[in-house]
Amino acid sequence: MRARLAAGAVLAVVVLLVPAIAGPFLRYLALNMLLLALLALSFNLLFGMTGLLSFGQGAFYAGGAYSAALLLRAGVPLLWSILLGALAAAALAAVLGAFCVRHTRIYFSMLTLAFGMLVYAVVWKWTAVTGGDDGLIGIPRARIGLPGPLDFSLDSPARYYLFAAVLVLLSMAVLHRLSASPLGLALRAIRENAERAEFSGVPVRRTIYIAFVTAGLFAGLSGALLAPLEQTVSPSTAHWTKSAEPVMATLIGGPLSFLGPILGAVVYLGLKEIIVRFTEYWLLVFGLVLLAMVLVFRRGLVGAASRLRMPRRRT
Amino acid sequence: MAPRRGTTRRRFLKSTALAVAGLGLPRALGAATADLKLKKPIKIGCQTILSGPLGGYGEFMRKGATLAMEEINAQGGIGGSPIEISFRDEELKVDVGVKNARYFVEDWGADFLIGIDSSAVALAVGEIMPSLNRILIVTHGATEKYNEDLVFKRHVRQCFRVCVPVYQDGIASALVAKDLPVKRWATISPDYEYGHTSWRMFRAYLKRFKPDVEFVGESFAKFGTVDFSSHISKVMGLSPEGIFSTEWGGEAVTMVKQAKLFKVFEQTKAFMIGMGAAMDVLQGLGADYPDGVWASGRYYFGYPDSAENKRFNEAFRKRWDTYPSYPSETAYTAVQALKKAVEKARSVETEKVIEALEGLELDRPAGKCVIRKEDHQAVYAVPWGQIRHDPKFPMPTLTNLKVFTTDEYYRKPPFAPVEG
Amino acid sequence: MLFQGLVGLSEAMYLWLVAAGLSLIFGVMRVLNFAHGSLYMLGAYFAWVAFRVSGSFWVALLAGPLVVAAVGWAMEFGFLRRVYSAPEAFQLLLTFAFVLILDDAVKLVFGPVYQSPPTPAALSGAVLIGHSVLPTYHLFILGVGALVGFGLWVFLEKTSFGLVIRATAADREMARALGVRASRLFTWVFMLGAWLAGLGGALSMPVRAISPGMGELIIIEAFVVVVLGGLGSLRGAFVGSLLIGLLHAYGLLFMPVFELALGYMAMALVLIVRPWGLFGIREG
Repeated sequence: MRARLAAGAVLAVVVLLVPAIAGPFLRYLALNMLLLALLALSFNLLFGMTGLLSFGQGAFYAGGAYSAALLLRAGVPLLWSILLGALAAAALAAVLGAFCVRHTRIYFSMLTLAFGMLVYAVVWKWTAVTGGDDGLIGIPRARIGLPGPLDFSLDSPARYYLFAAVLVLLSMAVLHRLSASPLGLALRAIRENAERAEFSGVPVRRTIYIAFVTAGLFAGLSGALLAPLEQTVSPSTAHWTKSAEPVMATLIGGPLSFLGPILGAVVYLGLKEIIVRFTEYWLLVFGLVLLAMVLVFRRGLVGAASRLRMPRRRT
Repeated sequence: MAPRRGTTRRRFLKSTALAVAGLGLPRALGAATADLKLKKPIKIGCQTILSGPLGGYGEFMRKGATLAMEEINAQGGIGGSPIEISFRDEELKVDVGVKNARYFVEDWGADFLIGIDSSAVALAVGEIMPSLNRILIVTHGATEKYNEDLVFKRHVRQCFRVCVPVYQDGIASALVAKDLPVKRWATISPDYEYGHTSWRMFRAYLKRFKPDVEFVGESFAKFGTVDFSSHISKVMGLSPEGIFSTEWGGEAVTMVKQAKLFKVFEQTKAFMIGMGAAMDVLQGLGADYPDGVWASGRYYFGYPDSAENKRFNEAFRKRWDTYPSYPSETAYTAVQALKKAVEKARSVETEKVIEALEGLELDRPAGKCVIRKEDHQAVYAVPWGQIRHDPKFPMPTLTNLKVFTTDEYYRKPPFAPVEG
Repeated sequence: MLFQGLVGLSEAMYLWLVAAGLSLIFGVMRVLNFAHGSLYMLGAYFAWVAFRVSGSFWVALLAGPLVVAAVGWAMEFGFLRRVYSAPEAFQLLLTFAFVLILDDAVKLVFGPVYQSPPTPAALSGAVLIGHSVLPTYHLFILGVGALVGFGLWVFLEKTSFGLVIRATAADREMARALGVRASRLFTWVFMLGAWLAGLGGALSMPVRAISPGMGELIIIEAFVVVVLGGLGSLRGAFVGSLLIGLLHAYGLLFMPVFELALGYMAMALVLIVRPWGLFGIREG
């Protein structure tokens, strides 16, 4: 437990130091990594912990992004816009989750895919509200909205980075606690064997529903933090290609550990950034990486690392 | 093929200068330019769509920009500083576009940004240009919101555009249509903001010129449509006399091919495609492009009949072994415009170059053009013409060119909203 | 009015070919092949190459799908069979990796620009149906689709190999107990599925522009179809594609605003109300 706390503290310190030691582009990249890490963690709540592959987290990511964007454009202070944006995404998850949790495996994945693309279609066509395919632009990076002397401006990118990083780190702490809590245990039990879990008293459907809404909440938070960063929100946030990103990140990092999705997000974005400088065929490289992950490193980088550390057991 | 810096450059310069002089077509600035002691090299970041069904556009844009770079470097660069251009795929996605822009400026050290095909990406990247404090010259994205809203209304002065916007597809088209014997129009256009805006503009302006026209039907095809059959049958069921379309790239090719199968061209009196004269569409359809279809673009290689256009065509074909498409010319012009502006301002500082670009007159392959001060939009005329198959060329070409004065079809400040 | 439906049905044929393979593979192997759209794309490209080499559309139609079947063999034998024992999610992800690889590989080899082969002269005509014009090619496609449907039915119902396939799809354990070599069977089924997708691509080559990424568009539609029809049911895939074709064609007429969303709405609706689709087997 202490080792975990130490690791978490180190992570937090590294993250917060970035603006001090890195240039503007690296800082920007780091923030994108943090947002993807949060999105991947939300995804992994369902995948690694519960065994449900959601192909539609983009729906909630977009829900959070657009809600926050609309609030910001209406003049609502930053902190409130972000939190309300995340809550709006959670509300969406509450509605869609009611349908999704009644299914498992392939059907669950297909339904999340369908819902994700439905949100995409709605966002694309509802031009009056969402700006259609042009998206919402000119989103102000408003003042933070805390009372009195704490109401400072986050216009400078470095300040916004710190603000977003703090929120992401707090979310990670919450999710970590969640995964160690009775809820987390229940989810893992469901992943192992849902029937047995039911028999031992776990209200399976309700538990999955809670996980689904929570995943939606944090995916929405990630999206909400995106809005003031780019000052633009577009329909691609809801597209299945966006939903595929946390999937890839988690796979790369390893779905069975908490750190996995975080590591995976860093590697995914970092690798993409490097590859793109050498070749435009980065999808090919990624496909090969994914292939390797699935065939050989099924537990991701984290799994591979732990396998190296642990002595081989004789069978 | 790019000349190396240092002493070898002089030799290269001399031989190129002689070669250029030998062509007998004088360039505006002749041989080597004076050394303004600017930073070396001057970096230009260009993003364009390099993948997917519209990837051809990026290729043509890359070719045009690279040709400009090579020519300029051969003559000593911009104010004596060689230029370097880096290309990235915008993927038609807003978040990728913004990330590319940031990468170019904050990591690679770009002094200027050019390119962009997607209107949405142009608007999003335009938003962050003030914070990046660099100039963006858009070479394809055509939404009128870019110059009318972003630059004119909201004073985002870092944004410029050298390609004709949706006015070409929505207004110049109406000027052509008013003289056609067509009373009933319908459209098959892409289902995104651009498709809707261009149709709306066409309707509003045509109605003004020819009040007795009727708009009998419309069908908007979602992005990535490969089968237009249902759209075609829906629209043809309404018995239109003329069809208007702003489909582009591979989708335009597919649509025309399928329309041909449905005998649309025999059943209608006119068919107009706003971006139908793009080189990739001309080459893609080849013999399948029906004669008489009205097409246009942002530049047509055969217009105007000027020395500069001839020179550009020859240089382009020699370098790339293909005729130039319009993104080639707009990208080429963007780089040339930067050269002229930086040398006029004698600096690469954003504010100074903005002032130099405003009101700048260019003699580009597409003709003479002026970059308007009010909305930073380059104003030049592009023809509409009818497709014909001339055996002299390996692809279909335009004939019966109709050119309108820019006064007739470029919207002017204060930009009243479009009716309809 | 009816004509619009006819057009929709012919559009549906391409979808049927892709969905048929997808359904077959899922029904027998329980693998949802994300890369099926990419196989369709390969079919179009290989057919185009064959056309350029031979000058004959019919040769292209024959050769293209066969090469895709070979690719299918490589995919199954070389990679897919290693993850049969892994959780479903990993199989899905393996096929997704292939989407990325194949799409970019095609871009690498053929370039990112789309290609546009000419329509064969023999099939460029049109027939008059009532007041409306229907291209001959569309009739041809309808014919091919129906033929394939009939052929598959005959194959599955009337041949011994088809019997083995149906048995394995229904109950893998029992089939194995009766001596069916599952591994060989899987390879053949995957190849057949790939051949069907390749055929769809080859047929689309003369009338659609082909480009890298054309698979992405059709795979999502194919998912909608197999969900609608029932995962694993060939009959469901056929009916499903017809329904989606009609939905698309008539949706354009009456509810064009929803064009983008129609397929997904249908998919979500079916998954919510009747997840095993119209003809699928209810899984316990």
